[in-house]
Amino acid sequence: MDTLIQLIISGALLGGVYALAALGLNLIFGVAKVINFAHGEFLMLGMYAGYWLMTLTGINPYYGAPFIAVAFFLLGAVFYLGIMRFTIYRPELTQVFVTLGLSIALQNLALMFWQADYRTIQTMPQGMSSLQLGGMHLPTDRVIAFGFAMVILIAVIIFLRKTFTGRAIEAVSQDLMAAQLMGINPQKIFVLTFGLGIAITGVAGGVLIPSFYAFPSVGTFFVLVAFVVVVLGGLGSVTGTIVGGLGLGIIETLGGYVAPDLKEALPFVLLILLLAIRPHGLLGIKGAEKETLK
Amino acid sequence: MSRFLGYFDWKRTDGLWFAVLLAAAFALPHFIENDYYINVLVLVFLYAGMASAWNIIGGMAGQFSLGHTAFVGIGAYTSTLLFNYVGVSPWLGMIAGGLLSMLMAALIAYPVFRMRGVFFAMATLAFGETVRILLMASRKYVDMPYGLSINYDPGFIRMVFEDRSSYAMLTGAFLIIVTIFAFGLSRSYIGSYLRAIRDSEEAAVASGIPMRKYKMIAFLISAFFTSIGGTLLAQYILYIEPSSVFSTAISIDLPLMALLGGIGTIAGPVIGAVIALPLRDILLETFGQSAPGLHLVIYGIALIVIVIVLPHGLLGGVKSIRERFVSRSHARSEREEPK
Repeated sequence: MDTLIQLIISGALLGGVYALAALGLNLIFGVAKVINFAHGEFLMLGMYAGYWLMTLTGINPYYGAPFIAVAFFLLGAVFYLGIMRFTIYRPELTQVFVTLGLSIALQNLALMFWQADYRTIQTMPQGMSSLQLGGMHLPTDRVIAFGFAMVILIAVIIFLRKTFTGRAIEAVSQDLMAAQLMGINPQKIFVLTFGLGIAITGVAGGVLIPSFYAFPSVGTFFVLVAFVVVVLGGLGSVTGTIVGGLGLGIIETLGGYVAPDLKEALPFVLLILLLAIRPHGLLGIKGAEKETLK
Repeated sequence: MSRFLGYFDWKRTDGLWFAVLLAAAFALPHFIENDYYINVLVLVFLYAGMASAWNIIGGMAGQFSLGHTAFVGIGAYTSTLLFNYVGVSPWLGMIAGGLLSMLMAALIAYPVFRMRGVFFAMATLAFGETVRILLMASRKYVDMPYGLSINYDPGFIRMVFEDRSSYAMLTGAFLIIVTIFAFGLSRSYIGSYLRAIRDSEEAAVASGIPMRKYKMIAFLISAFFTSIGGTLLAQYILYIEPSSVFSTAISIDLPLMALLGGIGTIAGPVIGAVIALPLRDILLETFGQSAPGLHLVIYGIALIVIVIVLPHGLLGGVKSIRERFVSRSHARSEREEPK
């Protein structure tokens, strides 16, 4: 019983981080209806940003998160204005291949600058690396990352529901045409959404680095995880992302305990089954999987 | 069969293209002395064949699969395991691998055919990864080394050849067979059905096309030929391992070549392979020395630019230029002699 609780709690901790890693993907999909196949590479860049911040300046990525956020917001805006702007009303195929091309380029850019070494950092002093909570040992880094994830997720939900700009984003995601008729400039919203989505992804990478290794091709793993989270929780739904992240974290941890060999395959099998049974996810809008910008 | 041929749409230039392909596959290898160029030729034939196979489901039917590496890997592994452990000739192992790939395709088709667009792509991407992970995990239970090598023992029956020009003819023959199949499908009623499904599933179903059946036919043929390509790849390199034949890079390369040339067309994947493989080699040679990965950075950027500028590939680009030219001359002739 104790093992089960321990497993579920560490699964939930992992899941919170997964949710944060997937939020940017879902936000961009929800608004611009683009599946960003280079999402994992932006996360990889975020991990390196956290790594270099700590190694070069000694700033802990947790404190450095605002810097990473600003830098990645600009990166996301450049990503939209420089590349995605030309594909936004094009067929899905174009978007898939443009983002795949970007993923190849970014992965090899990282390889070029930082080689294929596995890098990680230690943020906690010796003896502080795990928290003790009623007989359970929880890794401190994961707990902090989980806290970060929840704060950011809730902040995004509040931003989307309560602020004027946030509601404009929601409006574009629900109906582009109607939003335009209400005087919303979709180009501005797209820039903002790509910036916001990539900023969140960068911060996610930064808080992931103490508990995961960064290497140039790490994104290929995380992009599939992010797909699973988004599909599990619901396309275009931020609340769904939290549910999907926690769900996947717990399922993966429990599955890894029962069959360690197949742990890696579990998210993918889950993805195929989910897409087949309930393509709009647990909390998604029915039919969202068939939606494109027209 | 009579129905199949009855609707057949022949064009005058078809024979010419076929002769060009035949010459490239069987005459060209004898004239190339340089080992390096022959190696490029073999890979171009092989990838062009596999990209054409991908194009049947991905281009003609519009089901954008990113999991074709599963079939490449199944083909490579089936024939190699059968040869190394049971002694079955790769010529038979190739067919066995193809049939196994068709079986896998039929199984995975049930869930993935319910999706379309990017979701189909995501699900098939996950499918390719799953097959690789399952293979790696199963190594614990069966005694199989990480990599498998095929003994270098030249012989026709063992499908191992001394000179690379034989490989060029073998892979050239593979490309011709796939092209004939793709051509036959494309010009028959099946091709029209597949294009109708690609353009609008609702309209296709409403017109009475049995959508599932024809998607399945396209997927099975595609899986079979991709798998044959996997066997040929293994016989050429003589060494396979999970990360080389089950790799997302292969899954991306095949649609990429189809897209570069002109997706959904017969010649597109071939043209794409002729461009993409040498381009990557040239980039590697030019920039490979200066920094690791730089050539792929340039390749990725080139890809983004090409896809944005030429969304319908080179063939599409040529066609739109010609159409512009034709419509302009039409306009001129109409002005001169009004009907």
